[in-house]
Amino acid sequence: MAHNSDTDVDTLELCLREGIAGNEYADPREALGCDTDTDDAEVARALVRIVAAHDLGEIGMRSVRPEAVRHPSVRPPTEVTADPSFLGRLSATGDEGLSVERIDDVPTLLAVLRAGSRRQRRAALARLRERLVDRRLLQSDEVRKAIQIISKLRDVELGYELAQLRAELPGASGRTARQEHEQWKRLAQRTEFEIRAFWDGQSSVDAFRGLPGDQRALLLMRVSELSNLVVQHITAIIEGSDGSVPLESRIGLITSLRYARDPRLVPALVAVLEAERGELVASAARVLGGMDDARAQPALAERFERSFVAEERIALAGALGMHGDLRGLSEVRSSLDEDHPKLPLQALEAMESLGSPDSTDLVTKFLDHADASIAIQAARTCARIGDGRALDELTDRYNATAVPALQAAIEDALSAIAARMELRGEEAATIDWSEVGNKPVARKGPRDSLPAIALGWRDYFMGRLWLLLGRVTWAVARFESAAARRDDWGAPLIGIGMTFARREQYALALPAFRRAIEVDRLRIERNPILVRAMAKAFLHRAEQVEREGRDDVARGLVGEVLTLDLRRAPGTVRFELKRKHDVLRREEQGSVDSAA
Amino acid sequence: MDVEVEGRVEMVTLSLRDGELQCVSSDARNDGPHVLAALQFVAGMETREDSSPPGSLPSISAQPPEQSSASELADALDDLLTAITRIGVDKAQHAPSVDAALERLIGVAPKPTPSGLGRFIGRLQQAVRSAELRRVARLLKGASELADALRAATPTPEAALRVGAWLGARPGSRPDVELLYDRTMIEVGREWLSGTERASLERRYLIDAQSGGIYREDRVRNANASLGPCPRELQVGLAEVEPGPNPRRIRVLQYEVEPDVPAESWDSLHQVASQSFVQVTEQYRCALRTSPALCEPFALIAPFRIERDGVFKAFDAEGHQLVLDRSERRGAVLAFYDLLAQGIEPSWLAGRLTDTGTTVCLTPFAMGTFDGKYTRL
Repeated sequence: MAHNSDTDVDTLELCLREGIAGNEYADPREALGCDTDTDDAEVARALVRIVAAHDLGEIGMRSVRPEAVRHPSVRPPTEVTADPSFLGRLSATGDEGLSVERIDDVPTLLAVLRAGSRRQRRAALARLRERLVDRRLLQSDEVRKAIQIISKLRDVELGYELAQLRAELPGASGRTARQEHEQWKRLAQRTEFEIRAFWDGQSSVDAFRGLPGDQRALLLMRVSELSNLVVQHITAIIEGSDGSVPLESRIGLITSLRYARDPRLVPALVAVLEAERGELVASAARVLGGMDDARAQPALAERFERSFVAEERIALAGALGMHGDLRGLSEVRSSLDEDHPKLPLQALEAMESLGSPDSTDLVTKFLDHADASIAIQAARTCARIGDGRALDELTDRYNATAVPALQAAIEDALSAIAARMELRGEEAATIDWSEVGNKPVARKGPRDSLPAIALGWRDYFMGRLWLLLGRVTWAVARFESAAARRDDWGAPLIGIGMTFARREQYALALPAFRRAIEVDRLRIERNPILVRAMAKAFLHRAEQVEREGRDDVARGLVGEVLTLDLRRAPGTVRFELKRKHDVLRREEQGSVDSAA
Repeated sequence: MDVEVEGRVEMVTLSLRDGELQCVSSDARNDGPHVLAALQFVAGMETREDSSPPGSLPSISAQPPEQSSASELADALDDLLTAITRIGVDKAQHAPSVDAALERLIGVAPKPTPSGLGRFIGRLQQAVRSAELRRVARLLKGASELADALRAATPTPEAALRVGAWLGARPGSRPDVELLYDRTMIEVGREWLSGTERASLERRYLIDAQSGGIYREDRVRNANASLGPCPRELQVGLAEVEPGPNPRRIRVLQYEVEPDVPAESWDSLHQVASQSFVQVTEQYRCALRTSPALCEPFALIAPFRIERDGVFKAFDAEGHQLVLDRSERRGAVLAFYDLLAQGIEPSWLAGRLTDTGTTVCLTPFAMGTFDGKYTRL
């Protein structure tokens, strides 16, 4: 068929754009120089060949305004009214305007550290680190107080930044942090060696599969200090191109990276968002939410626009919220507003980044939820929203509940709200801690007699002595005898628990810890060494029974320990317990989607 | 398959060529203990723990059509072309006739849908969704060329090549593959592409560190491909390269993986990168001319100088420019601009070539710097 050379290619392009059937503007047959009765198939072939050939001839290197070509498929973020308060306008970085980097006042930085968003808290910690480098300031009361607060701070989300800062502090806190870092370096070296063997074909077992949960969390907490080889291995698992790690372990690894900020992980996580489904996407979204990387928000937004799975959408909405993109707010709000909300835990978590004072009522209604983990999450969300109107509800709930973990979450929330009010220039909330504080435990019976106390102490010391001599069975018998002499004495029971925990006999440690908690819970919760040993015993026992296929028992163990106030336990242990709790809970609901 | 014998793991490749079973292990032996163990396992003579993924795996290349179904497929391609042209590119997205034509095409195509045809469908749907007239025209031109090749009673070598690229090799025919031995290849980028479904094909871009040759390793979802993260260095013992659209498809059969690519390897990429943008443009045009529907050229360039004033522009020594395509992989482009803002200067850039109708652009995947560092974008 001969092309009518007089016809402009623009006319042919118009025919192709508007269609050759009933085109009002141009006659394709005439333009192509063919008969009027030529069938559509032949016209179509001629048309696309000529347009494509012309197009090919046009391609060159002419100047073009690249920003003008082809619009991105994702709509821009929803415009929302900016929070005009101090915290609302406070950026994490920047030399202009309100920025954490420009704050010199230590009390203000400490308030931001309690009340700010994750980015603001990180920036406040980094700023405090800069301030503490100046040794001359160490003598001032403000800085000493700051050091004290930083030493006690148990913010899991800031685990890495806290560890870095503590390692630079003087005194015992600094020494402990430096020792932990050395321990981490040894672990990292060992892992690197195993990874090298894996890729050299000398081992078929992935290095992360053999690691206990808390060790893995510890290793991954400092992911940005890991060598390229280890990070590359992690990205291979994330993308599923390692050839050996099953889906559940893949999800587990991504979840363990929850608070990682290493940009080397971003492309692999973005690939998961692009190609996978269900829990893999939700986990990757949560990690990307906390990444300060230009690739994160477009990938999250693109996936949010085309996802239709509720679990994915809520996680994506929350992650987008962390980037200041509130396009998912209304969906999360309406999901919580339902009579029987689906995925309330995930939605409340998303509200941590999406919520504003408008959402306070919506969130506080979950403080009374029968499921303690949902109530605890509601308290955490209240802390992040930081609305003073939640104070009464939180205080009432504190007095009503018997769940120590909920009480701990409410204490943190009250403190965060007070700090936020202070930063807003409002009158700082005066919390009546005498009303809120721990109530004295009612005594069960009469006081122990003097001989019982003396004999109890004798047995206890004998137990310690046998323990020193390595006679564990005898030591345990003495501890049991001491415990039997006095009903409300926790020390011997703690001794039994610690003895078994140190020997990694977690199944034997648990009954002793449980009895000790019954008798003297506060003593365990307030002692960092005891609470760490107890939490690790529960965690490791849960891992053991999970390996045996008894998921229900593992779920029960993790759920049980999470009802306690674990704020003094190491962040890595708490993180891993929470992660395991979420995984086991998902399995119970049978909602782990196949990523195939 | 990976086979462990006496504590040593080797990968054994079993392939059927011209009715003959060929076996080779990654230690380059075809009669070693690993090969024997693999054969015994396949024959069911030995019980071993099978750790292969559950479910049946789709074969990499589907059975191409017989002559009768070939003409049916050609008709279906013509129908699709006619349906889109009748309704017009602007309205094709929501046209039931176009949907029906696509369904018919998938229905008559070999099962599972060959990756070439699948990728064509994915690209066409995307181009129709965004009403990109020129891209639609190119894709449909490629489809009409395939229809001609399928109808040919005695296909020319070009026609046979075209059918092979779209549908895989004909049964009984000897695949005209090029064998590569002992090469060092570096993977610089990977992406998920749509076929008949979203994200149904993973494509990895491998560059030969000595020759600068660029290959694609395509992996259909749930199928196997070489292992390792991106980036990685592959010491390729044996690989097959298929003739076809640019970049050519590679199947890596024997290899060792180094997940942490050494700085010298990145330097060698800088050495082999294209320094003339006229040449890059000509290669792009040539690829489009040969295979308008299937080619998705990839390039490795070493700019002579760059401009970062507002919009990034790379220039070669003769002053020809290459710009970034900012409409695809938006996050990667933004991250690239962030790196530029930090004062980082790329010594080389790798990316997929696209065009705006008149200008060839680069969609960035990776960049290297003069200090031997690499960033995956």
